[in-house]
Amino acid sequence: MSVPALELQGLSKRYGEFTALHTVDLTIHPGEIFALLGPNGAGKTTMIGSVCGLVKKSSGSIRVFGKDLDQDPVGPRYDIGLVPQEINFDPFFTVAESLRIQLGFYGRPANEARIDEVLTALNLHAKKDAYTRALSGGMKRRLLIAKALVHKPRLVFLDEPTAGVDVELRRDLWTYVRKLASEGTTIVLTTHYLEEAEELADRVGIINEGRLLMVEDKATLLRRFGERRVIITFEQPQPGLSEAGKRFAARLSEDGRTLTYVERDGCAPSGELLRALYAEGQLISDVETRRSRMEDVLIEILRGRPQQAA
Amino acid sequence: MNVLGMKTLLAKEVRRFMRVPGQTVLSPLISTTLYFIVFGVSISGRVQTVEGVPYLHFIVPGLVFLGIANNAFLNSSSSLFITKIQGTVVDLLVAPLGPGELMAGFIGGAMVRGLVVGLLTWAVATFFTGFSLEHAGVAAYFLILSSYVFSVLGMLAAVWAEKFEQINFFPTFVMLPLTFLGGVFYSVRELPAPWNTVSLFNPMVYMVEGLRYGMLGRSIYSPLGAGSILFAVAVGATALTYAVLRSGYKMKA
Repeated sequence: MSVPALELQGLSKRYGEFTALHTVDLTIHPGEIFALLGPNGAGKTTMIGSVCGLVKKSSGSIRVFGKDLDQDPVGPRYDIGLVPQEINFDPFFTVAESLRIQLGFYGRPANEARIDEVLTALNLHAKKDAYTRALSGGMKRRLLIAKALVHKPRLVFLDEPTAGVDVELRRDLWTYVRKLASEGTTIVLTTHYLEEAEELADRVGIINEGRLLMVEDKATLLRRFGERRVIITFEQPQPGLSEAGKRFAARLSEDGRTLTYVERDGCAPSGELLRALYAEGQLISDVETRRSRMEDVLIEILRGRPQQAA
Repeated sequence: MNVLGMKTLLAKEVRRFMRVPGQTVLSPLISTTLYFIVFGVSISGRVQTVEGVPYLHFIVPGLVFLGIANNAFLNSSSSLFITKIQGTVVDLLVAPLGPGELMAGFIGGAMVRGLVVGLLTWAVATFFTGFSLEHAGVAAYFLILSSYVFSVLGMLAAVWAEKFEQINFFPTFVMLPLTFLGGVFYSVRELPAPWNTVSLFNPMVYMVEGLRYGMLGRSIYSPLGAGSILFAVAVGATALTYAVLRSGYKMKA
Protein backbone atom coordinates (compact mmCIF):
# COMPACT_ATOMS: atom_id res chain seq x y z
CA MET A 1 0.00 0.00 0.00
CA SER A 2 1.30 3.47 -0.86
CA VAL A 3 2.45 5.87 1.83
CA PRO A 4 -0.35 8.31 2.73
CA ALA A 5 0.11 11.84 1.44
CA LEU A 6 -0.96 13.13 4.84
CA GLU A 7 -1.48 11.41 8.14
CA LEU A 8 -2.77 13.23 11.21
CA GLN A 9 -2.87 11.37 14.50
CA GLY A 10 -4.42 12.91 17.59
CA LEU A 11 -3.79 16.41 16.24
CA SER A 12 -4.87 19.03 18.76
CA LYS A 13 -4.48 22.77 18.98
CA ARG A 14 -5.34 24.77 22.05
CA TYR A 15 -5.28 28.55 22.47
CA GLY A 16 -5.41 28.92 26.26
CA GLU A 17 -8.77 27.60 27.35
CA PHE A 18 -10.07 27.38 23.79
CA THR A 19 -9.53 24.17 21.87
CA ALA A 20 -9.46 24.80 18.13
CA LEU A 21 -8.75 21.17 17.18
CA HIS A 22 -9.72 18.11 19.22
CA THR A 23 -7.47 15.05 18.61
CA VAL A 24 -8.06 14.88 14.89
CA ASP A 25 -7.17 11.64 13.10
CA LEU A 26 -7.15 11.76 9.33
CA THR A 27 -5.43 9.96 6.48
CA ILE A 28 -5.36 11.41 2.98
CA HIS A 29 -4.27 9.18 0.11
CA PRO A 30 -1.95 10.21 -2.70
CA GLY A 31 -3.72 11.58 -5.74
CA GLU A 32 -7.09 12.13 -4.12
CA ILE A 33 -9.06 15.35 -3.89
CA PHE A 34 -10.21 15.73 -0.32
CA ALA A 35 -12.70 18.43 0.63
CA LEU A 36 -12.78 19.66 4.20
CA LEU A 37 -16.12 21.21 4.95
CA GLY A 38 -17.41 23.05 7.97
CA PRO A 39 -18.76 26.40 9.12
CA ASN A 40 -16.59 29.42 9.90
CA GLY A 41 -14.33 28.80 12.89
CA ALA A 42 -14.73 25.02 12.61
CA GLY A 43 -10.95 24.46 12.58
CA LYS A 44 -10.32 23.94 8.87
CA THR A 45 -7.66 26.64 8.55
CA THR A 46 -6.06 25.64 11.87
CA MET A 47 -5.74 22.07 10.61
CA ILE A 48 -4.18 23.18 7.35
CA GLY A 49 -1.95 25.70 9.14
CA SER A 50 -0.64 22.97 11.44
CA VAL A 51 0.55 20.97 8.45
CA CYS A 52 1.91 23.96 6.55
CA GLY A 53 3.99 25.40 9.40
CA LEU A 54 1.73 28.36 10.17
CA VAL A 55 0.30 26.98 13.41
CA LYS A 56 2.15 25.33 16.30
CA LYS A 57 0.22 22.20 17.18
CA SER A 58 -0.37 21.44 20.86
CA SER A 59 -0.17 17.66 20.53
CA GLY A 60 -0.43 14.82 18.08
CA SER A 61 1.61 13.94 15.05
CA ILE A 62 1.67 15.02 11.40
CA ARG A 63 3.26 12.95 8.66
CA VAL A 64 3.64 14.21 5.10
CA PHE A 65 4.42 11.38 2.68
CA GLY A 66 5.60 9.36 5.67
CA LYS A 67 7.88 12.05 7.10
CA ASP A 68 7.13 13.18 10.65
CA LEU A 69 7.12 16.98 10.97
CA ASP A 70 8.41 16.74 14.55
CA GLN A 71 11.54 14.98 13.34
CA ASP A 72 11.99 17.07 10.20
CA PRO A 73 9.96 20.29 10.25
CA VAL A 74 11.49 21.66 7.02
CA GLY A 75 12.13 18.77 4.59
CA PRO A 76 8.50 17.75 3.99
CA ARG A 77 7.64 21.33 3.06
CA TYR A 78 9.34 20.90 -0.34
CA ASP A 79 6.30 18.79 -1.22
CA ILE A 80 3.66 21.23 0.05
CA GLY A 81 1.88 24.10 -1.67
CA LEU A 82 -0.64 26.34 0.05
CA VAL A 83 -3.18 28.76 -1.32
CA PRO A 84 -3.97 30.78 1.80
CA GLN A 85 -7.41 32.14 2.51
CA GLU A 86 -6.30 35.77 2.69
CA ILE A 87 -4.98 37.48 -0.42
CA ASN A 88 -1.40 38.65 -0.03
CA PHE A 89 1.09 40.08 -2.49
CA ASP A 90 4.47 41.72 -2.47
CA PRO A 91 4.02 45.05 -4.29
CA PHE A 92 7.71 45.37 -5.16
CA PHE A 93 7.66 42.53 -7.67
CA THR A 94 6.00 41.54 -10.91
CA VAL A 95 3.95 38.39 -11.38
CA ALA A 96 6.84 36.54 -13.06
CA GLU A 97 9.34 37.72 -10.44
CA SER A 98 7.03 36.55 -7.65
CA LEU A 99 6.90 33.10 -9.22
CA ARG A 100 10.68 32.97 -9.75
CA ILE A 101 11.14 33.89 -6.09
CA GLN A 102 8.67 31.22 -5.08
CA LEU A 103 10.57 28.61 -7.12
CA GLY A 104 13.79 29.71 -5.44
CA PHE A 105 12.28 29.40 -1.96
CA TYR A 106 11.55 25.76 -2.80
CA GLY A 107 15.12 25.18 -3.94
CA ARG A 108 14.26 25.18 -7.63
CA PRO A 109 15.97 27.32 -10.25
CA ALA A 110 13.95 29.77 -12.30
CA ASN A 111 11.97 27.84 -14.92
CA GLU A 112 10.28 30.08 -17.46
CA ALA A 113 8.51 27.18 -19.17
CA ARG A 114 6.92 26.14 -15.88
CA ILE A 115 5.99 29.74 -15.05
CA ASP A 116 4.37 30.15 -18.47
CA GLU A 117 2.49 26.87 -18.05
CA VAL A 118 1.02 27.83 -14.67
CA LEU A 119 0.16 31.36 -15.75
CA THR A 120 -1.53 30.08 -18.91
CA ALA A 121 -3.52 27.48 -16.99
CA LEU A 122 -4.74 30.19 -14.64
CA ASN A 123 -5.41 32.68 -17.42
CA LEU A 124 -2.87 35.14 -16.02
CA HIS A 125 -0.22 35.02 -18.70
CA ALA A 126 -1.12 38.45 -20.09
CA LYS A 127 -0.11 39.93 -16.72
CA LYS A 128 3.20 38.13 -16.48
CA ASP A 129 5.25 41.34 -16.39
CA ALA A 130 2.75 43.46 -14.46
CA TYR A 131 3.50 44.53 -10.90
CA THR A 132 1.40 42.59 -8.43
CA ARG A 133 0.03 45.82 -6.96
CA ALA A 134 -1.57 46.59 -10.34
CA LEU A 135 -3.60 43.36 -10.42
CA SER A 136 -7.32 43.21 -9.73
CA GLY A 137 -8.60 41.19 -6.76
CA GLY A 138 -9.41 38.18 -8.91
CA MET A 139 -6.01 38.31 -10.58
CA LYS A 140 -4.28 38.50 -7.20
CA ARG A 141 -6.18 35.35 -6.26
CA ARG A 142 -4.97 33.69 -9.47
CA LEU A 143 -1.41 34.70 -8.57
CA LEU A 144 -1.79 33.15 -5.11
CA ILE A 145 -2.82 29.90 -6.75
CA ALA A 146 0.05 30.10 -9.25
CA LYS A 147 2.51 30.67 -6.39
CA ALA A 148 1.24 27.62 -4.56
CA LEU A 149 1.57 25.40 -7.62
CA VAL A 150 4.60 26.65 -9.51
CA HIS A 151 7.07 24.36 -7.69
CA LYS A 152 4.95 21.28 -8.52
CA PRO A 153 4.10 20.28 -4.95
CA ARG A 154 2.80 16.75 -4.39
CA LEU A 155 0.38 17.92 -1.69
CA VAL A 156 -1.61 21.10 -2.28
CA PHE A 157 -3.84 22.86 0.21
CA LEU A 158 -6.46 25.16 -1.24
CA ASP A 159 -7.96 27.12 1.63
CA GLU A 160 -11.08 28.77 0.23
CA PRO A 161 -9.35 29.28 -3.12
CA THR A 162 -12.34 30.72 -4.94
CA ALA A 163 -13.76 32.93 -2.19
CA GLY A 164 -15.04 36.11 -3.79
CA VAL A 165 -13.91 35.33 -7.32
CA ASP A 166 -15.84 35.18 -10.55
CA VAL A 167 -17.28 32.09 -12.19
CA GLU A 168 -14.58 32.10 -14.84
CA LEU A 169 -11.75 31.68 -12.35
CA ARG A 170 -13.70 29.04 -10.48
CA ARG A 171 -14.10 27.04 -13.67
CA ASP A 172 -10.42 27.56 -14.62
CA LEU A 173 -9.34 26.39 -11.20
CA TRP A 174 -11.60 23.35 -11.21
CA THR A 175 -10.22 22.29 -14.56
CA TYR A 176 -6.66 22.75 -13.35
CA VAL A 177 -7.29 20.94 -10.05
CA ARG A 178 -8.72 17.95 -11.92
CA LYS A 179 -5.67 17.94 -14.20
CA LEU A 180 -3.30 18.06 -11.20
CA ALA A 181 -5.15 15.23 -9.48
CA SER A 182 -5.05 13.13 -12.65
CA GLU A 183 -1.27 13.64 -12.66
CA GLY A 184 -1.02 12.34 -9.09
CA THR A 185 -1.11 15.54 -7.03
CA THR A 186 -2.99 15.27 -3.76
CA ILE A 187 -5.41 18.13 -3.17
CA VAL A 188 -6.92 19.20 0.14
CA LEU A 189 -9.64 21.75 -0.41
CA THR A 190 -11.66 23.83 2.00
CA THR A 191 -14.52 25.77 0.58
CA HIS A 192 -17.76 27.48 1.39
CA TYR A 193 -19.00 26.69 -2.10
CA LEU A 194 -20.35 23.23 -1.50
CA GLU A 195 -20.94 22.96 -5.21
CA GLU A 196 -17.15 23.08 -5.48
CA ALA A 197 -16.69 20.14 -3.12
CA GLU A 198 -19.45 18.24 -4.87
CA GLU A 199 -17.88 18.94 -8.24
CA LEU A 200 -14.29 18.09 -7.34
CA ALA A 201 -13.89 15.93 -4.25
CA ASP A 202 -13.32 12.20 -4.06
CA ARG A 203 -13.79 12.22 -0.30
CA VAL A 204 -15.27 14.71 2.10
CA GLY A 205 -14.40 15.43 5.73
CA ILE A 206 -16.83 17.38 7.86
CA ILE A 207 -15.45 19.36 10.75
CA ASN A 208 -17.23 21.42 13.37
CA GLU A 209 -16.00 23.03 16.58
CA GLY A 210 -12.58 21.47 16.06
CA ARG A 211 -13.90 17.92 15.80
CA LEU A 212 -13.76 15.88 12.62
CA LEU A 213 -17.31 14.57 12.57
CA MET A 214 -16.95 12.22 9.65
CA VAL A 215 -14.89 11.32 6.62
CA GLU A 216 -16.66 9.62 3.77
CA ASP A 217 -16.54 9.06 0.02
CA LYS A 218 -18.51 11.83 -1.58
CA ALA A 219 -20.85 9.44 -3.35
CA THR A 220 -21.45 7.42 -0.18
CA LEU A 221 -22.02 10.55 1.83
CA LEU A 222 -24.56 11.89 -0.62
CA ARG A 223 -26.25 8.51 -0.68
CA ARG A 224 -26.28 8.00 3.10
CA PHE A 225 -27.24 11.50 4.07
CA GLY A 226 -28.71 12.79 0.90
CA GLU A 227 -32.28 12.26 -0.07
CA ARG A 228 -34.30 12.27 -3.25
CA ARG A 229 -37.59 14.07 -3.22
CA VAL A 230 -40.04 12.58 -5.72
CA ILE A 231 -42.95 14.86 -6.56
CA ILE A 232 -45.80 13.14 -8.38
CA THR A 233 -48.48 15.28 -10.02
CA PHE A 234 -51.87 13.67 -10.61
CA GLU A 235 -54.11 14.44 -13.55
CA GLN A 236 -57.02 14.94 -11.15
CA PRO A 237 -56.91 16.22 -7.56
CA GLN A 238 -57.08 13.39 -5.02
CA PRO A 239 -59.69 13.52 -2.23
CA GLY A 240 -57.21 11.97 0.26
CA LEU A 241 -54.04 9.91 0.62
CA SER A 242 -54.49 6.56 -1.12
CA GLU A 243 -53.41 3.23 0.43
CA ALA A 244 -50.21 3.24 -1.62
CA GLY A 245 -49.46 6.76 -0.44
CA LYS A 246 -49.99 5.74 3.19
CA ARG A 247 -47.84 2.62 2.82
CA PHE A 248 -44.92 4.69 1.53
CA ALA A 249 -45.51 7.52 4.06
CA ALA A 250 -45.86 10.00 1.21
CA ARG A 251 -47.43 13.43 1.72
CA LEU A 252 -50.35 14.76 -0.30
CA SER A 253 -50.52 18.49 -0.97
CA GLU A 254 -53.50 20.45 0.39
CA ASP A 255 -55.02 20.81 -3.07
CA GLY A 256 -54.65 17.05 -3.62
CA ARG A 257 -52.73 17.49 -6.86
CA THR A 258 -49.21 16.44 -5.82
CA LEU A 259 -47.78 13.63 -3.78
CA THR A 260 -44.31 14.01 -2.29
CA TYR A 261 -42.18 11.02 -1.39
CA VAL A 262 -38.82 11.44 0.36
CA GLU A 263 -36.50 8.63 -0.68
CA ARG A 264 -33.52 8.04 1.61
CA ASP A 265 -30.90 5.34 1.72
CA GLY A 266 -32.67 2.17 2.98
CA CYS A 267 -36.16 3.33 1.98
CA ALA A 268 -38.25 1.63 -0.69
CA PRO A 269 -37.30 2.94 -4.11
CA SER A 270 -39.67 5.47 -5.66
CA GLY A 271 -40.31 3.10 -8.58
CA GLU A 272 -42.22 0.83 -6.21
CA LEU A 273 -44.46 3.71 -5.19
CA LEU A 274 -45.13 4.55 -8.83
CA ARG A 275 -46.02 0.94 -9.59
CA ALA A 276 -48.36 0.89 -6.58
CA LEU A 277 -50.03 4.10 -7.73
CA TYR A 278 -50.52 2.70 -11.25
CA ALA A 279 -51.96 -0.45 -9.71
CA GLU A 280 -54.46 1.71 -7.86
CA GLY A 281 -55.40 3.25 -11.19
CA GLN A 282 -54.05 6.69 -10.43
CA LEU A 283 -53.43 8.83 -13.51
CA ILE A 284 -50.11 10.58 -13.25
CA SER A 285 -49.33 13.63 -15.40
CA ASP A 286 -45.78 14.41 -14.20
CA VAL A 287 -42.97 13.05 -12.03
CA GLU A 288 -40.22 15.34 -10.80
CA THR A 289 -37.20 14.35 -8.71
CA ARG A 290 -35.01 16.66 -6.65
CA ARG A 291 -31.73 15.23 -5.37
CA SER A 292 -30.28 16.88 -2.27
CA ARG A 293 -26.93 18.52 -2.77
CA MET A 294 -23.83 18.68 -0.61
CA GLU A 295 -25.20 21.77 1.10
CA ASP A 296 -28.26 19.88 2.37
CA VAL A 297 -26.04 17.01 3.51
CA LEU A 298 -23.74 19.33 5.41
CA ILE A 299 -26.64 20.99 7.17
CA GLU A 300 -28.07 17.59 8.09
CA ILE A 301 -24.77 16.40 9.52
CA LEU A 302 -24.05 19.59 11.44
CA ARG A 303 -27.52 19.29 12.95
CA GLY A 304 -26.52 15.92 14.37
CA ARG A 305 -27.69 13.29 11.94
CA PRO A 306 -24.29 11.56 11.67
CA GLN A 307 -24.58 10.13 15.17
CA GLN A 308 -27.97 8.64 14.33
CA ALA A 309 -26.72 7.24 11.09
CA ALA A 310 -23.30 6.05 12.18
CA MET B 1 20.27 23.27 3.94
CA ASN B 2 18.19 25.07 1.30
CA VAL B 3 21.02 27.09 -0.25
CA LEU B 4 19.02 28.26 -3.26
CA GLY B 5 16.13 29.28 -0.99
CA MET B 6 18.53 31.31 1.12
CA LYS B 7 20.15 32.96 -1.92
CA THR B 8 16.73 33.74 -3.36
CA LEU B 9 15.60 35.45 -0.16
CA LEU B 10 18.85 37.43 0.00
CA ALA B 11 18.55 38.54 -3.64
CA LYS B 12 14.90 39.43 -3.08
CA GLU B 13 15.82 41.58 -0.08
CA VAL B 14 18.50 43.44 -2.02
CA ARG B 15 16.20 43.94 -5.01
CA ARG B 16 13.45 45.16 -2.69
CA PHE B 17 15.47 48.06 -1.31
CA MET B 18 17.09 48.77 -4.67
CA ARG B 19 13.60 49.27 -6.16
CA VAL B 20 13.25 52.37 -3.99
CA PRO B 21 16.82 53.75 -3.79
CA GLY B 22 15.64 57.29 -3.03
CA GLN B 23 14.05 56.08 0.17
CA THR B 24 16.50 53.36 1.17
CA VAL B 25 19.89 54.75 0.15
CA LEU B 26 19.74 58.38 -0.91
CA SER B 27 17.59 59.65 1.96
CA PRO B 28 19.75 58.18 4.77
CA LEU B 29 22.88 59.28 2.90
CA ILE B 30 21.63 62.86 2.86
CA SER B 31 20.69 62.72 6.57
CA THR B 32 24.09 61.41 7.58
CA THR B 33 25.86 63.91 5.35
CA LEU B 34 23.85 66.71 6.96
CA TYR B 35 25.04 65.52 10.38
CA PHE B 36 28.55 65.74 9.03
CA ILE B 37 28.11 69.24 7.68
CA VAL B 38 26.07 70.64 10.59
CA PHE B 39 28.02 69.10 13.46
CA GLY B 40 31.39 68.73 11.83
CA VAL B 41 31.83 71.89 9.88
CA SER B 42 30.12 74.16 12.42
CA ILE B 43 31.79 72.74 15.55
CA SER B 44 35.21 72.15 14.02
CA GLY B 45 35.69 75.92 13.99
CA ARG B 46 35.63 75.92 17.80
CA VAL B 47 36.84 72.42 18.64
CA GLN B 48 40.15 71.93 16.91
CA THR B 49 41.03 68.37 17.92
CA VAL B 50 39.57 65.47 19.88
CA GLU B 51 41.87 62.71 21.12
CA GLY B 52 44.59 64.26 19.00
CA VAL B 53 42.54 64.09 15.78
CA PRO B 54 41.01 67.05 13.90
CA TYR B 55 37.32 67.18 14.86
CA LEU B 56 36.04 66.82 11.29
CA HIS B 57 38.13 63.64 10.89
CA PHE B 58 37.14 62.43 14.36
CA ILE B 59 33.41 62.22 13.58
CA VAL B 60 33.73 60.38 10.24
CA PRO B 61 33.93 56.82 11.68
CA GLY B 62 30.96 57.53 13.96
CA LEU B 63 28.85 58.81 11.08
CA VAL B 64 29.79 55.85 8.90
CA PHE B 65 28.76 53.63 11.81
CA LEU B 66 25.52 55.60 12.19
CA GLY B 67 24.66 54.99 8.52
CA ILE B 68 25.43 51.29 8.80
CA ALA B 69 23.59 50.72 12.08
CA ASN B 70 20.44 52.63 11.18
CA ASN B 71 20.05 51.22 7.71
CA ALA B 72 20.92 47.64 8.53
CA PHE B 73 18.39 47.75 11.37
CA LEU B 74 15.72 49.50 9.34
CA ASN B 75 16.04 47.12 6.42
CA SER B 76 15.65 43.85 8.25
CA SER B 77 13.07 45.21 10.69
CA SER B 78 10.85 46.89 8.12
CA SER B 79 11.14 44.13 5.54
CA LEU B 80 10.23 41.28 7.89
CA PHE B 81 7.61 43.34 9.73
CA ILE B 82 5.90 44.28 6.46
CA THR B 83 5.75 40.63 5.40
CA LYS B 84 3.87 40.00 8.65
CA ILE B 85 1.50 42.91 8.05
CA GLN B 86 0.81 42.20 4.37
CA GLY B 87 0.55 38.45 4.93
CA THR B 88 3.41 37.39 2.64
CA VAL B 89 5.11 35.87 5.70
CA VAL B 90 2.98 32.85 4.79
CA ASP B 91 5.24 32.31 1.76
CA LEU B 92 8.27 32.17 4.04
CA LEU B 93 6.72 29.96 6.69
CA VAL B 94 5.26 27.39 4.30
CA ALA B 95 8.42 27.20 2.17
CA PRO B 96 11.27 24.90 3.24
CA LEU B 97 13.19 27.74 4.84
CA GLY B 98 14.40 27.07 8.39
CA PRO B 99 15.53 29.74 10.87
CA GLY B 100 19.07 29.63 9.43
CA GLU B 101 17.93 30.30 5.88
CA LEU B 102 15.55 33.06 6.98
CA MET B 103 18.28 34.75 8.99
CA ALA B 104 20.82 34.50 6.19
CA GLY B 105 18.37 36.03 3.70
CA PHE B 106 17.11 38.91 5.80
CA ILE B 107 20.42 39.65 7.49
CA GLY B 108 22.37 39.45 4.24
CA GLY B 109 20.02 41.90 2.53
CA ALA B 110 20.11 44.30 5.47
CA MET B 111 23.90 44.15 5.69
CA VAL B 112 24.18 45.07 2.03
CA ARG B 113 21.99 48.15 2.54
CA GLY B 114 23.80 49.17 5.76
CA LEU B 115 27.19 48.81 4.13
CA VAL B 116 26.12 50.63 0.95
CA VAL B 117 24.90 53.63 2.98
CA GLY B 118 27.91 53.50 5.34
CA LEU B 119 30.45 53.33 2.53
CA LEU B 120 28.72 56.09 0.56
CA THR B 121 28.77 58.24 3.70
CA TRP B 122 32.48 57.56 3.98
CA ALA B 123 32.93 58.49 0.31
CA VAL B 124 31.12 61.82 0.90
CA ALA B 125 33.25 62.48 3.99
CA THR B 126 36.47 62.04 2.02
CA PHE B 127 35.56 65.17 0.03
CA PHE B 128 35.87 67.13 3.28
CA THR B 129 38.62 65.26 5.10
CA GLY B 130 40.51 63.23 2.54
CA PHE B 131 40.78 59.44 2.64
CA SER B 132 42.09 57.78 5.76
CA LEU B 133 42.32 54.03 6.39
CA GLU B 134 44.98 53.10 8.91
CA HIS B 135 44.09 49.47 9.61
CA ALA B 136 42.00 48.04 6.77
CA GLY B 137 41.42 44.66 8.43
CA VAL B 138 40.19 46.21 11.67
CA ALA B 139 37.96 48.65 9.78
CA ALA B 140 36.48 45.83 7.69
CA TYR B 141 35.87 43.75 10.84
CA PHE B 142 33.96 46.55 12.55
CA LEU B 143 32.09 47.59 9.39
CA ILE B 144 30.92 44.09 8.62
CA LEU B 145 30.20 42.93 12.16
CA SER B 146 28.38 46.17 13.09
CA SER B 147 26.14 45.81 10.04
CA TYR B 148 25.57 42.17 10.99
CA VAL B 149 24.62 42.93 14.59
CA PHE B 150 22.10 45.61 13.66
CA SER B 151 20.60 43.44 10.93
CA VAL B 152 20.07 40.67 13.47
CA LEU B 153 18.58 43.09 16.00
CA GLY B 154 16.26 44.49 13.32
CA MET B 155 15.00 41.01 12.60
CA LEU B 156 14.43 40.37 16.28
CA ALA B 157 12.47 43.63 16.59
CA ALA B 158 10.32 42.68 13.58
CA VAL B 159 9.48 39.32 15.07
CA TRP B 160 8.45 40.95 18.33
CA ALA B 161 6.50 43.90 16.89
CA GLU B 162 2.81 43.61 16.15
CA LYS B 163 2.11 47.27 15.40
CA PHE B 164 3.88 50.03 13.48
CA GLU B 165 4.34 51.89 16.74
CA GLN B 166 6.27 48.96 18.17
CA ILE B 167 8.57 48.64 15.17
CA ASN B 168 9.48 52.31 15.59
CA PHE B 169 10.18 51.79 19.28
CA PHE B 170 13.72 50.45 18.85
CA PRO B 171 15.17 53.05 16.48
CA THR B 172 13.60 55.93 18.42
CA PHE B 173 13.95 54.90 22.05
CA VAL B 174 16.92 52.54 22.00
CA MET B 175 19.16 53.07 19.00
CA LEU B 176 19.01 56.83 18.69
CA PRO B 177 19.95 57.59 22.33
CA LEU B 178 22.60 54.86 22.45
CA THR B 179 24.13 56.05 19.18
CA PHE B 180 24.19 59.72 20.15
CA LEU B 181 25.59 58.75 23.56
CA GLY B 182 28.00 56.34 21.89
CA GLY B 183 30.81 58.72 21.17
CA VAL B 184 29.93 59.56 17.58
CA PHE B 185 30.37 63.32 18.07
CA TYR B 186 32.65 63.37 21.10
CA SER B 187 35.09 61.23 23.04
CA VAL B 188 33.35 59.43 25.92
CA ARG B 189 36.59 59.81 27.91
CA GLU B 190 35.92 63.54 28.05
CA LEU B 191 32.49 63.06 29.60
CA PRO B 192 32.15 64.09 33.26
CA ALA B 193 31.64 61.39 35.90
CA PRO B 194 29.49 59.34 36.18
CA TRP B 195 28.63 59.49 32.46
CA ASN B 196 32.05 58.34 31.37
CA THR B 197 31.49 55.19 33.47
CA VAL B 198 27.90 54.77 32.32
CA SER B 199 29.12 54.90 28.72
CA LEU B 200 31.15 51.76 29.32
CA PHE B 201 27.86 49.82 29.30
CA ASN B 202 26.89 51.16 25.89
CA PRO B 203 28.01 48.60 23.30
CA MET B 204 27.87 51.21 20.55
CA VAL B 205 30.84 53.01 22.11
CA TYR B 206 33.04 50.00 21.32
CA MET B 207 31.70 49.70 17.78
CA VAL B 208 32.42 53.38 17.07
CA GLU B 209 35.83 53.27 18.74
CA GLY B 210 36.80 50.08 16.93
CA LEU B 211 35.92 51.60 13.58
CA ARG B 212 37.74 54.78 14.58
CA TYR B 213 40.87 52.75 15.22
CA GLY B 214 40.56 51.04 11.86
CA MET B 215 40.01 54.28 9.95
CA LEU B 216 42.06 56.83 11.89
CA GLY B 217 44.47 54.65 13.87
CA ARG B 218 43.29 56.25 17.14
CA SER B 219 40.95 54.87 19.77
CA ILE B 220 40.44 55.18 23.50
CA TYR B 221 39.94 51.38 23.76
CA SER B 222 42.04 48.57 22.45
CA PRO B 223 40.62 47.25 19.18
CA LEU B 224 40.95 43.72 20.53
CA GLY B 225 38.75 44.48 23.52
CA ALA B 226 36.22 46.42 21.46
CA GLY B 227 36.24 43.70 18.81
CA SER B 228 35.66 41.01 21.44
CA ILE B 229 32.69 42.89 22.85
CA LEU B 230 31.22 43.30 19.37
CA PHE B 231 31.78 39.61 18.66
CA ALA B 232 30.06 38.64 21.92
CA VAL B 233 27.07 40.88 21.08
CA ALA B 234 26.90 39.29 17.61
CA VAL B 235 26.96 35.75 19.00
CA GLY B 236 24.34 36.57 21.65
CA ALA B 237 22.00 38.30 19.18
CA THR B 238 22.38 35.44 16.68
CA ALA B 239 21.63 32.76 19.26
CA LEU B 240 18.61 34.64 20.56
CA THR B 241 17.17 35.32 17.10
CA TYR B 242 17.71 31.73 15.99
CA ALA B 243 15.96 30.43 19.12
CA VAL B 244 13.07 32.88 18.71
CA LEU B 245 12.55 31.94 15.05
CA ARG B 246 12.80 28.25 15.80
CA SER B 247 10.17 28.56 18.52
CA GLY B 248 7.77 30.31 16.13
CA TYR B 249 7.29 33.10 18.68
CA LYS B 250 4.88 35.69 17.22
CA MET B 251 5.37 34.21 13.76
CA LYS B 252 3.15 31.15 14.06
CA ALA B 253 -0.28 30.97 15.66
